[in-house]
Amino acid sequence: MRDRFLYILRSLVFVVFALVLCALVFQLAGYNAPLMLASVIDGAFLRPGAIEQSLRWALPLFITAAGVGISFRAGFFNIGAQGQFYVGAIFAAFAAEWLKGNPAFIVIPVCFLAGMTGGALWALWPGLLKLRSGTDEVITTLMGNFLASLLLVYVTSGPLKDPSGSGQQASSRPLAAAYRISDSLGLSPTIIIIAVLVGITTWLLVNRTAFGVLASLSGRNATMVQWQGAKLWQLGLSSFLISGALAGLAGTIELMGPNGRIASGFLPTHGFTAILITLVANLSVVGTAVAAVFFGGLASAALYLPIMVGLPASAVDIINAAIALFITAKSGFVDKLLTLGGRSK
Amino acid sequence: MNDIIIAILRSSTPLIYVTLAGVIAQRAGVWNLGLEGIMIIGSCSLIIGIIVTNSFTAAILIAIAICVLASVLLWLVIEKLKANPIIAGLGMTGLGLGGTALAAESIFGSQATISAPFGVPKLGPAFGAYGVLSIFVFAMPFVVLGMWILLRRTRFGLRLAACGEHPFAARSVGANPDRMRLVALAIGGVLCAIGGAELAGGSLQFFAQGMTSGRGFMAFAAVIFGAAHPIGATFAALFFATVGALGIRAQLMFGDKVPHDLLQALPYLVTIFGVWLSGKLRGGTKAAGAFAELKDQ
Repeated sequence: MRDRFLYILRSLVFVVFALVLCALVFQLAGYNAPLMLASVIDGAFLRPGAIEQSLRWALPLFITAAGVGISFRAGFFNIGAQGQFYVGAIFAAFAAEWLKGNPAFIVIPVCFLAGMTGGALWALWPGLLKLRSGTDEVITTLMGNFLASLLLVYVTSGPLKDPSGSGQQASSRPLAAAYRISDSLGLSPTIIIIAVLVGITTWLLVNRTAFGVLASLSGRNATMVQWQGAKLWQLGLSSFLISGALAGLAGTIELMGPNGRIASGFLPTHGFTAILITLVANLSVVGTAVAAVFFGGLASAALYLPIMVGLPASAVDIINAAIALFITAKSGFVDKLLTLGGRSK
Repeated sequence: MNDIIIAILRSSTPLIYVTLAGVIAQRAGVWNLGLEGIMIIGSCSLIIGIIVTNSFTAAILIAIAICVLASVLLWLVIEKLKANPIIAGLGMTGLGLGGTALAAESIFGSQATISAPFGVPKLGPAFGAYGVLSIFVFAMPFVVLGMWILLRRTRFGLRLAACGEHPFAARSVGANPDRMRLVALAIGGVLCAIGGAELAGGSLQFFAQGMTSGRGFMAFAAVIFGAAHPIGATFAALFFATVGALGIRAQLMFGDKVPHDLLQALPYLVTIFGVWLSGKLRGGTKAAGAFAELKDQ
């Protein structure tokens, strides 16, 4: 318990450190850094409607991050959440297109199934390559991200092209209002229920089932788990599939909820942020939910930055990257500082 | 024929420089996934440097200095703060991509591309049809050879490999793995700067946001494919780049008959194939430290 507390503190220290570092850099680049930090907090949590906006970003991020956590626990560096997210959205968009005109209670579940299948398929081939031939999954999933965004460009400017769209960014035809699960603000009871269900299921899966325990163990010591008689092959492939399916589910939610359509290159940092969330939470499901709200807040604040401080929205990408740079650090110095603080209490 | 060779040399040279940066890091035992970010920092600082100083020499020195600084930062985080190299590398890549986009936007306003009045000096008419190539293309084979000598035929190179493969043993004979990795990453920073400079200034003379489009990751894949051997990895990079260049040619020749996006996907597909093949031939690579270790703290 104490160790866990220490870990949370350490995560916080590095997140704050990254934030301060970024603020310094922005100050040097000629922006008003204190105003920036203030407007991040304001835009994320204080402004009226800000909490809803933060949750709108946090819920899909949480779903993807929960999946990433499952593959990380099993010891696989599946960093292809972005590609799985895209392919999930593409599959769901095709399903919605083909079933056009049918009643919503048929179309929506089928779309969700299609989206999760798409995400799982995009995680299946790196998983098979890894487990059958030892192909490093870091590179295959990364390349999968590039391939998926090309696929998205192809789909939105080809089969699903919206002819009335402006020339700037190719996008698919918008979904009929009956098939949307939220308005464009993107927070609705349906999405909240899905996120809560995903949270409960992954928590149970990780902490209360043989699969979760064995997968976590095999991430630490695969040989031992094999000697215990577990099938590593099945464990590994299932964790790839589950993480892909959850990323695909998040893609489906973005399509059927806030966006209503898919556009080439939409939400390009979703997968990376989800990986960060998992790491900040140290792979715990509850922690993932908390971290998702924080990063959702950052994402929502990004929209205020251009207006408030004149910073481009990409400034938040830099903050995220700086957090990524430091989040896995295990500095003895910081640990000593934290334990000293704990002792004096 | 000449123009095909020129196209291949143009597209492979940036990739080969960055691949060499990955090779030296890999030999020292660091999985460098920050190559992409450090490379684009090189591209951006060269173009901005040329615009500001109006001198190529000053611009490339600035680019090298900034890239070495970024590499040293990565080294600090991985070695001194004991961060996971893969995540720290991805963070560095994000910093590079986001930082260059921010720099370009804050200096020049929101423009898609920043053009420089001139790029990397060209070889000149003495080389006939190849005179349009930059001096970095000409230097590339010598740099590859130099890297091979450095890594395989010098005391430093052998010590570096020892530090990568078995830091404990290296330490017992007096080598300092920490310092060796710092040197390796700093040399990698210089190479990334040159690779990025060649990408932005070799034939294009402009910087665009995210213009590296995964080349750093491809270079990393070439390192794996080439088993971290300087010449093997160079040929792997050359192979990836050739497929990419031929894809662009095919696009020009066949036009609408082959889907445009499929041809664009070729380099990524070939990279996956290369990594798969190297896994088949040599057994899987071992990632440096699993995430599950995080759980044990």
